[in-house]
Amino acid sequence: MSGFWPCTAPEKPGKAALVVIDMQVDFCAPGGWVDQLGEDVSNTRSVIPAVAEALKIARGAGLAVYHTREGHKPDLSDLPANKQWRTRVHGLGIGDEGAAGRILVRGEPGFEIVQEVAALPGEAVIDKPGKSSFHATDFDARLKTVGITHLIVIGVTSDCCVQSTFRDGFERGYECVILEDCTAAVETPNHQATMDILKAYGGRWGTVSDLAGFRAAVEALHG
Amino acid sequence: MADRFASVAANPYSWPFDGQWNAADSALLVLGFQNGMVAALHAEPEVKVAARLVSAVCDAGLPVIASRRGLAETLSPVAARRAAMGAGMGDPVFPPQTPEWQLAESLGLPGDAPIFDHPGDNAFYSTGLEAWLRQRGIRNLVLAGLPTEGLLHATQRAANDMGFECIAVSDACKGTTAARHSGQLRITAFGNGLFGTVARSDQIIAALSASALN
Repeated sequence: MSGFWPCTAPEKPGKAALVVIDMQVDFCAPGGWVDQLGEDVSNTRSVIPAVAEALKIARGAGLAVYHTREGHKPDLSDLPANKQWRTRVHGLGIGDEGAAGRILVRGEPGFEIVQEVAALPGEAVIDKPGKSSFHATDFDARLKTVGITHLIVIGVTSDCCVQSTFRDGFERGYECVILEDCTAAVETPNHQATMDILKAYGGRWGTVSDLAGFRAAVEALHG
Repeated sequence: MADRFASVAANPYSWPFDGQWNAADSALLVLGFQNGMVAALHAEPEVKVAARLVSAVCDAGLPVIASRRGLAETLSPVAARRAAMGAGMGDPVFPPQTPEWQLAESLGLPGDAPIFDHPGDNAFYSTGLEAWLRQRGIRNLVLAGLPTEGLLHATQRAANDMGFECIAVSDACKGTTAARHSGQLRITAFGNGLFGTVARSDQIIAALSASALN
């Protein structure tokens, strides 16, 4: 399988991890934060079946699976003042009481991963206060402890947390792949711009592939 | 010296968010204005704008911090792939101490400007830049750099997660294409400033020369 991995294939399936970013009620379910703001969640919802399929492939092949959730401690001690201020302009900001509990606060219903792609027992869930899964978390340490070298990054949103994790993975030396049909943004132009930027020159920070490419690459690992 | 500068008429909101910025709590980051990168991107006009910004910021008493990207001796696989592809990657990375690696003279950096070296895009990663800023109580960052979707944006993303209040200077950065430049800045300002704000250099220079009206 040439062209899927940025440089080389992982030595064995256990060296690759599927990273599912922020498939939370607040971002991609009716009644969640984005929906309550009156924004369209059809883009973020549309990738749920593809994300579920990617999870099936990864679990079947023995890849490690990591889920992430963006949110803050109930006392908001890890929430920068400007981040809260920016979201409150919309009328319903981080930490405020909404229809699915307090917005982006750990432990609230809106913070949970949508049930279609929920974590299975034993799968790691990384709770993060920032956009990047590597910022102020033990994600990097956990990956290195078990010898993960390759990351397949999917989830929402492509322009925000998916892109941040992909870029930071590159900085830290991981070979990173995004599956284009397993990620989306709230606004389509931002998704398209993100894909154009990440694909340019064959991928400066990693590669962009899709579900079919992932399936073939995983089959090749077992070949 | 002004106690507080006027706010900048930025997109999508008047920057900084709380109206508080002065010479002690704010800094200018100039990222990757190296001879080889300027040539690769034909970014001479953006260097001129950045130089005007450096001069105005120095006059106002703010620190200027530069970053320089260079090939590291130990390269990760993806970084090695980039290095092997050279100019084919759009934003080449140069070996340290070569003329292409040097910062552009015309930037007019003050002699005491700290310089942070990094092999990747993010000037914060493993460089000590965050500690340098925190020790001085800096909370607001004005960012210029090359290319927009590379060093500039990667560094702004990291700064934003750290809680720094950021403003990207749209005419003091350039992308590998105009569409990538504008697309990345659109994402920056989306959602009432997901990664901070964007303004032109003249808006920032005007704010620096006007004290806030209390």
